[in-house]
Amino acid sequence: MIEFVSVSRNYGDKLAVAQLDLKIPSGELFALLGPNGAGKTTTIRMMVGLLQPTSGQVRICGHDVVTETRQANRHLGLVPDEPYLYDKLSGREFLSFVADIHGLDRNDAAARIDREIDQFELRPFVDDRTETYSHGMKQRLAFAAALLHEPAVLVVDEPMVGLDPRSIRLVKDLLKAKARSGMTIFMSTHSLSAVEEIADRIGILDHGQMKFLGTLAELRKLSVAEHTSLEHLYLHMTDGLPAERSASQATAP
Amino acid sequence: MPDFPAITALPSTAPPREANPRAIGVGQLLSVERESAVFWSLRIRLIAASARRMAQIAQLRASLVVALSIMFWWALFFLFYSGFDLLAGMHENIVESLYNAFFASLMIMLLCSSAIIMYSSLYRSPEAALLLTMPARADRIFAYFFQEAIWFSSWGFLLLGSPMLVASGVVARAPWHYYALLLPFMLSFVFIPAAIGGIVCLLAVDRLGRIRRGAVRIAVAVLLVLVIWFGWSVISGAKSDLMTPRWFQELSERLRVVENRWLPSWWLSLGLLEAARRPDFQTIDYRPWAQSMMFLGLLISNALFWQLAARWLAGRVYRSSYSRLHSERAVHRRSKVRWLDRLILGRSAKPPSAIRVLMVKELRLFRRDPVQWSQFLIFFGLLALYFLNIRRFNYNSAYSAMIGFLNLAVVGLILSTFTTRFIFPMVSLEGRRFWILGLLPISRDQILYTKFAFAALSSLIPCCGLMALSDLMLDISTDILLVHQVSCAVLCLGLSATAVGLGAKMPELNEHSPSKIAAGFGGTLNLVISAIYIVVVVMLTAVPYHFRLVMSHSIGESWFGRMSIWLASPWAVAAGIGLTILVGATATIWPLRIGLEAFRELEP
Repeated sequence: MIEFVSVSRNYGDKLAVAQLDLKIPSGELFALLGPNGAGKTTTIRMMVGLLQPTSGQVRICGHDVVTETRQANRHLGLVPDEPYLYDKLSGREFLSFVADIHGLDRNDAAARIDREIDQFELRPFVDDRTETYSHGMKQRLAFAAALLHEPAVLVVDEPMVGLDPRSIRLVKDLLKAKARSGMTIFMSTHSLSAVEEIADRIGILDHGQMKFLGTLAELRKLSVAEHTSLEHLYLHMTDGLPAERSASQATAP
Repeated sequence: MPDFPAITALPSTAPPREANPRAIGVGQLLSVERESAVFWSLRIRLIAASARRMAQIAQLRASLVVALSIMFWWALFFLFYSGFDLLAGMHENIVESLYNAFFASLMIMLLCSSAIIMYSSLYRSPEAALLLTMPARADRIFAYFFQEAIWFSSWGFLLLGSPMLVASGVVARAPWHYYALLLPFMLSFVFIPAAIGGIVCLLAVDRLGRIRRGAVRIAVAVLLVLVIWFGWSVISGAKSDLMTPRWFQELSERLRVVENRWLPSWWLSLGLLEAARRPDFQTIDYRPWAQSMMFLGLLISNALFWQLAARWLAGRVYRSSYSRLHSERAVHRRSKVRWLDRLILGRSAKPPSAIRVLMVKELRLFRRDPVQWSQFLIFFGLLALYFLNIRRFNYNSAYSAMIGFLNLAVVGLILSTFTTRFIFPMVSLEGRRFWILGLLPISRDQILYTKFAFAALSSLIPCCGLMALSDLMLDISTDILLVHQVSCAVLCLGLSATAVGLGAKMPELNEHSPSKIAAGFGGTLNLVISAIYIVVVVMLTAVPYHFRLVMSHSIGESWFGRMSIWLASPWAVAAGIGLTILVGATATIWPLRIGLEAFRELEP
């Protein structure tokens, strides 16, 4: 469903993403990890059509995001880290606009909007203007908008930031359920505990290079110590582990 | 000893479990017509939401804006009416030249402003990033932002142009269809520069790319050369008397450069002038009407053509140019401590006072925000050019003094727009970082005094400098020059204190956009109070000099005559200056006190 074929992206003379080859099939929840400036946002921006690769190809459901942008975006739902919502519109009006732009039938759209309102518990404030929403409320509305047209691919950038524990639980359960139903989910995050809990496969990006690609179990196999935490594995992989810290200190109890 | 292999493997394996085949999406790609309807519906929803909000919580602001706009329109109408009436009796042909010059300069301004507006909405707004991730056509997104650019860049033209054109029609006793055609003419005209501005914006981002920085430097250099050339031609040129046949001839010749038949501004001028001509029924001459319609047709067809061309181009280059612009590597600028910072901070080994440190902070924020200093530079630069230009004409001393006072009012009005736009929002913008100020070992009073000192100092220097330039160009006597300097200083202090005080009294701590803060109720109130204050200060000092002008004519022995004699006396001048200082002190101390009280209690 998501395919990166030898994708590279430069910012001037700086290589942000280098020769990325990645295929994420239907029903997989893929988590992309990496330190700040590793190229995660660039990867997402290429996927949703905001940036074009310097070389290579990104395909969403078989559609090239550069030459068939509209077709690719049709199958895509995006939840950015800081969602932009029209602050003068109410949540319901925003959902209605998203339904319209995705060509949903009026009656069908109304039913779907109602369903998402219930799913994300938006009813108490959905008719208020979005400028009055907290970050968590905005994030939930962004999820509702992204899922309204039942996209084949859902891209989420830092989905847990700013959410309360109940909302985090809601989002984790939802992502797992959506993946089980066949949706491809691409999640960029720094929340290692969420990745350990819900991700099917992990990619660790550093300096634009994919340092690791596989399951958590495969990642653990790379370590000689048993029960090593993802945090320790991740820090080692991205050269972020302080030298004085020993492996034994980092292992899980 | 490391517990990992030295080289990490990339087990790009198959998915962990069997994927469920999934039916792809439920939506569909929209037809051109349906997509257009969706975006129109969004636009209407946004306008309706803003109107509802205005009606609910900003009634006073809306009423103020409408009332001020109507007042402004009528004032302009009477000004233009008097002007056209004067010209009608002296030199009628100059109207066509003035129309051409006005519309040509407006065309350039509309082109530039729409290019800038399109750039910020197409390439820099979060809304564009949202729309580009949706299955919408690029040219439709462009058209959506184009509507916005048309409105933002041309409402000033409608507000400024309509009283001028109505006044011109009234003086020329134009037939009814002239007034009916005004709106179609103006609307079709604004589409042309706005669409060309959109094309310029798209091409600049798509093609100039890496050389954009260089291109800007070249453009600035060319502009600088033009300004120097213009300044030199003005200073070295011979003086001529105002309103004489020679003056009109010279003016016509200067304006001839904009009378080009390929320019839409020429079509608009001719179309309106023809529409204003009364048909001669005795000879059954209806040609003026037909000519006017031809020019309107020309404008409409060009407006449609340029809009189509802009959309066609957007469809091809918008997405790729967006990507290109956002792929440029950020330039890391190393901040420097400038000589002015060092001067304010002092050379003493002791740490500088909190006020000095805060002052340097405000200065750095101003210096590193091109929006602030570029607008400051453009408006005050244009004023300087205007002041240089007034040297070209001979005036008698009484007229010089009055023109000097008018210039003082203009300087004050421009300063009031700056204090509203940049000084008033200063306290509100501290909203998110208020905790930093709260933790500093200084009182809140000091913070507010620093903002006032910064605003007053940064306005005193350019404004008093400009007034000195104006007076020198007008050959004004030293006593009036001093009066102008005192009045200007009083204006700067009062306007700065009003903006700082009201800004602290009515902060909008949740708003991050300074333009939105300035456009809010507090900003509007600040602008209105500033305008009233400027009128009061200028009147108090200008009235005695106005009566000196009146005294140069025969005034008789009436009550008005005796009153005029007293008002023209040195006593009246002294009283005017005294009252000006008193009003200025009140306008400085009172708002600051109100602001300080509110700021001490402020809980962000």
